[in-house]
Amino acid sequence: MFTIALKDIKQYFKDKTAVFLSLLLPIALITIFALMYGGIGKSEKSRPINLLFADQDKTNLSQEVFATLDAEEGLKLESKTYKEAETLIKKGKRTAVLVLYKGFQDSVEAGKKIPMELFYDEAKEIEMGLLQQALWSNLFGVTMKKGIKGKVNTWIKDKNPDLSDSEIEDIQAQVAEQFEGFNNSEEQSEIEENSELPMTALVGEKKNGNLGLVQAIAGIAIMMLLFSVSASGASLLKEKEDGTFRRLLIAPVSPSGILYGKMLSTLFMAVLQLSVMFLYSWLVLGLDIFINLPALILMILCAAIACSSFGIFMASVCKSRKQVESLSTLIILVISAIGGSMMPLFFMPAIMKKLAVISVNYWAMEGFFDIFWRQLPLIEILPKMLILLGIAAVLTSISVISFKRNLLKMV
Amino acid sequence: MKLCKLAHREPYTNLMLVAKNLSKSYKEVKALTDVNLNIQKGELYGMLGPNGAGKTTTISILSSLLKPDEGEILYEEKSLYQNLFECKKLIGVVPQEIALYEDLTATENLKFWGTMYGIKGKHLQNKIDELLEFLGLADRKNHKIKTYSGGMKRRINIAAALLHDPKIVFMDEPTVGIDPQSRNLIFEVIEELHSRGLTMIYTTHYMEEAERLCDRIGIIDEGRIIAEGSLDELKSNSSIKEEIHLKYSNPNKNSLGQLTDRYKGQLLVNEDHLILSSSKANADLPELIQLCSQTELLLDKIDIRSLSLESIFLELTGKSLRD
Repeated sequence: MFTIALKDIKQYFKDKTAVFLSLLLPIALITIFALMYGGIGKSEKSRPINLLFADQDKTNLSQEVFATLDAEEGLKLESKTYKEAETLIKKGKRTAVLVLYKGFQDSVEAGKKIPMELFYDEAKEIEMGLLQQALWSNLFGVTMKKGIKGKVNTWIKDKNPDLSDSEIEDIQAQVAEQFEGFNNSEEQSEIEENSELPMTALVGEKKNGNLGLVQAIAGIAIMMLLFSVSASGASLLKEKEDGTFRRLLIAPVSPSGILYGKMLSTLFMAVLQLSVMFLYSWLVLGLDIFINLPALILMILCAAIACSSFGIFMASVCKSRKQVESLSTLIILVISAIGGSMMPLFFMPAIMKKLAVISVNYWAMEGFFDIFWRQLPLIEILPKMLILLGIAAVLTSISVISFKRNLLKMV
Repeated sequence: MKLCKLAHREPYTNLMLVAKNLSKSYKEVKALTDVNLNIQKGELYGMLGPNGAGKTTTISILSSLLKPDEGEILYEEKSLYQNLFECKKLIGVVPQEIALYEDLTATENLKFWGTMYGIKGKHLQNKIDELLEFLGLADRKNHKIKTYSGGMKRRINIAAALLHDPKIVFMDEPTVGIDPQSRNLIFEVIEELHSRGLTMIYTTHYMEEAERLCDRIGIIDEGRIIAEGSLDELKSNSSIKEEIHLKYSNPNKNSLGQLTDRYKGQLLVNEDHLILSSSKANADLPELIQLCSQTELLLDKIDIRSLSLESIFLELTGKSLRD
């Protein structure tokens, strides 16, 4: 078993260009995807979303809304007329414009329907989703306070039509006094806090954690690893085509010993590839791989074992290298898509998220997210490692059975 | 190439391999039927038959690669299937294809195959050096196999089967696809191994090879051994005694067809000559010449030769070895 593995490793390193490319390609893809997800740099925050602001009301309240939204970290406001904004959006240069129509302040204070509208580019739906999150909490935080005051005034008038104008004015003054009376007081802050929808980030950009970068590294590394292990698993079929497999079977070694030897060499190459990926991510992309090194080492090992078993599985169920190449490409692309390697899972519909659990990519990526993003302790990451090992056990068992069953056909 | 000369072989003493009633079918096709072999220690046994006769299937079964549907195999009186790993160490196989890793050097290949048989360290290195010297490839030992010529690859293919000092070596058509010079080199290697006392089973569809190399020859066709013995025994058992070789200059389908009809099962038609198997060449020759004249086949040369395996095979099967 070890002799076969060592021979395979020797053969792997003989082709220096192939080794270089097998490491360079994933590195190039990781870098591109990390740039796409905006995740390069240790302390870099997510880029703010540009929002155009068309103020047609030009009142104190509309200015207050502008100031509040502009203070939001996730937004970058630009004041434009509606026409200018419309042109920029249509040219694809901006995503959305928030228009506050004339009468905005009056409507808010009167508790009426607020004349405002958000115009956006439908093609940028993902960015819009992120924009809405940042926009609504701030926008309604400002308008709600004024709106409640207006509503109270209207309610007093409606419910007490017998009251004389002077009495209504008196009550209004008292209500206004109640609201004004809270100015700069602790009670006002309390009410403001209570009236806003509390939004607490359970998972966020902790120290040295960067969602985009982790997504790019884990996603691409696992997908590329699956391609690599399929190729090395196919070396079993190359042995068959070259006639060396017959010679191996004649030698005093069991058929499963040959299979395990192949798996061992594939595992070595998988661990090497993942390790190089993470070292590169540390040195060049700024990922802190020392955040939980024992967990990272174990996770690399478990992911490599699961991926290697996939390579051997493909080699044992296919009859030729051509079959392995086409079938594994198809399977890898499918499981990488549903497993979140190509696109973050939170962009996907619910059904896809449910399907993701059948892929090796999903569990490996979840494990890496646990380490770098959620920063969980090792004990909480163990279940994912065990699932990966479980996948490996199932695939290896099928491979051994299939390999023994197809043995006659192979010679 | 210079071969090291060693002491000549001991006379055969006892049996190295016994195969009893081997049968093997692939679905409906019978690949082997009741094949029996008794191979003496030090013997070079030739298995002669056309492509698809069952030679490779026999070697595959004898080397444990395939299991027969029926039959028993004994190496030095030990059952192959009950002593699989022990028997595997007694066996060396030179497969028909070049079963080597092209991107590794000769030394790396031999180291790998040696290690697979449990040979290690200095002993393995000495064995590799000795074999490369013996095969005349010591100066190319650190070159990748893919840079070797066909004949050189064939020699390394043989070396890989000899590393663990097997007691019996199966050579499955080891000269396929190589030039005459390389073929002769391989013959010299085989003859040298034979003189050292190594037991070998050699499959071929070239009668010249079997005639030159083998102590005994088994003629195999359609999965059955139809005749067996030394070349002299096979010749003396045949009703044919001589061969008439006719070289012609005007290949004519019509005349060749008429001759084939007349001498059904006796005539071999080659590119530029005919071979007629005959029990009495002097008696058959006049009629043959007359028939050639009648069918307007122009003869360049007439030759009467002693019986070859080709004619024996034709007599036994009614077809040519190269069919």
